Amino acid sequence: MDMLINPTVVELSRLQFALTALYHFLFVPLTLGLTFILATMETVYVVTGKQIYKEMTQFWGKLFAINFALGVATGLTMEFEFGTNWSMYSHFVGDIFGTPLAIEGLMAFFMESTFVGVMFFGWDRMSPKAHLVVTYLVALGSNLSALWILIANGFMQDPRGGTFDPNTMRMQFTSFVGLIFNPDAQAKFVHTSIAGFVTGSMFVMAVSAYYLLTKKRRDIALRSFRLAAIFGVISTVGVITLGDALGYIDAHAQPTKLAAMEAIWETNPHTVSASWNLIAFPSRTEQKNVFEIGIPYVLTPLLTHSEDTVIPGIKNLEQDAKPHIENGIKAMIALKAYNADHNDTAALATFKQYEKDMGYGFLAKEFAPDQDLAKVNASNLPSVLDKTAKATIPNVWVEFWAFRLMVAAGFFMLVLFAFAAYYSLKNEIEKHPLFLKIALWSVPLPWIACEFGWITAENGRQPWTVYGWLPTFVSASSHSVSYMIFSLIGFVLLYSTFIAAELYLMFKYARLGPQESHHHGEEPAAGGGMAGKPAFAKSSMNRS
Amino acid sequence: MKGLLTFITGFVILAFALFLAVITGDYGPWYFAWLVGTTMIVLISASGAAMFDRQDEELNQKGISSR
Ligand code: HEM
Repeated sequence: MDMLINPTVVELSRLQFALTALYHFLFVPLTLGLTFILATMETVYVVTGKQIYKEMTQFWGKLFAINFALGVATGLTMEFEFGTNWSMYSHFVGDIFGTPLAIEGLMAFFMESTFVGVMFFGWDRMSPKAHLVVTYLVALGSNLSALWILIANGFMQDPRGGTFDPNTMRMQFTSFVGLIFNPDAQAKFVHTSIAGFVTGSMFVMAVSAYYLLTKKRRDIALRSFRLAAIFGVISTVGVITLGDALGYIDAHAQPTKLAAMEAIWETNPHTVSASWNLIAFPSRTEQKNVFEIGIPYVLTPLLTHSEDTVIPGIKNLEQDAKPHIENGIKAMIALKAYNADHNDTAALATFKQYEKDMGYGFLAKEFAPDQDLAKVNASNLPSVLDKTAKATIPNVWVEFWAFRLMVAAGFFMLVLFAFAAYYSLKNEIEKHPLFLKIALWSVPLPWIACEFGWITAENGRQPWTVYGWLPTFVSASSHSVSYMIFSLIGFVLLYSTFIAAELYLMFKYARLGPQESHHHGEEPAAGGGMAGKPAFAKSSMNRS
Repeated sequence: MKGLLTFITGFVILAFALFLAVITGDYGPWYFAWLVGTTMIVLISASGAAMFDRQDEELNQKGISSR
């Protein structure tokens, strides 16, 4: 605890984690959503017995396989990163945080990976109904994987189910149920899983639009388009609903995140008429928005679902933090004394008195002379309080705009899916080539929304790794700067190769399109029945 | 014109559903909602696809379809 922390190493560790997480999340949402879309297509096949739906499932399954393989590769490294780059964090919350991660690995990931093999290679080896069950298990398994990871992330956002033990200097479990049913984890799981459904729908819809525009396999394209448009429109309503719930939960658990997300500097006591910022250019140095366009009467009901809840502004939150920081410093000094001598009951009593603010004491370490809280005295206290209080607020500019971009993408997709479902249900989608082009070019939107969603969630949680308990500054390992730069470059190169491989394979196989074999009276073969070969490794020919 | 009206009605229902969901939803039992919601999404979109085939057959009978 007393070693000097190098801020550059912390920043590089953050950059590395952010990059690997954002890379990883390019693959995840498609897996979450496409698996359920495959299961839906296969359900239609099993219920109606129509071969075309089997062929559809196999074709989209081929594209899913490419994404799945690369997604797994990028996810594994992240779990190791906690240990290598965030050893203090792992020590502090490992007991709690490690549990859902272990369950994810042992239960959900094994389930998903085992059945994924059966799904690809089992078409000719089991009855259609049994195969359908397998496809559902893959969909459920991949979403369960996400569930456990998001429970772990929910703990970082709103730590529930654990408490700090001054004897072991770690957080320990108090309630497994508290951890799992954390409201933040619940809303986060559903928001993220459904964001995956939106991504899967957009992917299938956009690629189908491409086939319709190029007149390829209209039989498959029209059906896929229909299914994806309906899947997408309901999912987008779901993602927006849950996004709102997440905002509401954040308002209570993380007021600093909410204030940053909405760029609210001043507390407005006139709750009814308070304006919601549609657009703002927040300035950290001036502590205000240098430009803003607000809509009156919207802020309070939108964020708090009430008319009279006051939303504290950033300036107030900074002032409110100061007593907590002062208490936190006392808690940390007492903790250190208790650690040196476990018989020092007076120190333990002082620690217990201020325990709930210990995180703020940790946070002040960065600004204390020589990072030593014992050196904080009456003369330097005001400056330490000031700097620490300012540090409790995340980067407002990034938070405000990341959130706005996710939301804008969400509403645009809602309108897009609504039109798509409407045109498709009326069987006139091909009469609207411009709309098909828009649908095709909108394909990156859900990925953009997901990436900005994670930026909103994680940038907004700063300066904490575990909100209110453990600051990011003290969470990192004590590597050297050169080691961090070296590993960062390594990751960037490796992951860029993965992305390039994904894009190459996706474009290649999506362009080729589904095979036309069943038109020649053959058994549809795409993706299935190829013992020993990955489904997507087969040659794929196409007629238009 | 009729088509436009149907679309507007559909969209108003959608917006209303969203509005209801937003004002009622905060600390909801979201895991449960996910189970119900996912089942619903799967079933509705599956029926949407099955409906496609019915529409297609109808068109076929009229001799219009090319699918
Ligand atoms: C009106 C629309 C939306 C609202 C109000 C909304 C709200 C939110 C909020 C408040 C967070 C931060 C959660 C936290 O603090 O922990 C978040 C995160 C996130 N959002 Fe959205 N969102 C919307 C649309 C979307 C869309 C369309 C997608 C993707 C298709 C998306 C994907 C994500 C993801 C992946 C995260 C990070 C994981 C998480 O915290 O759940 N969001 N969203």
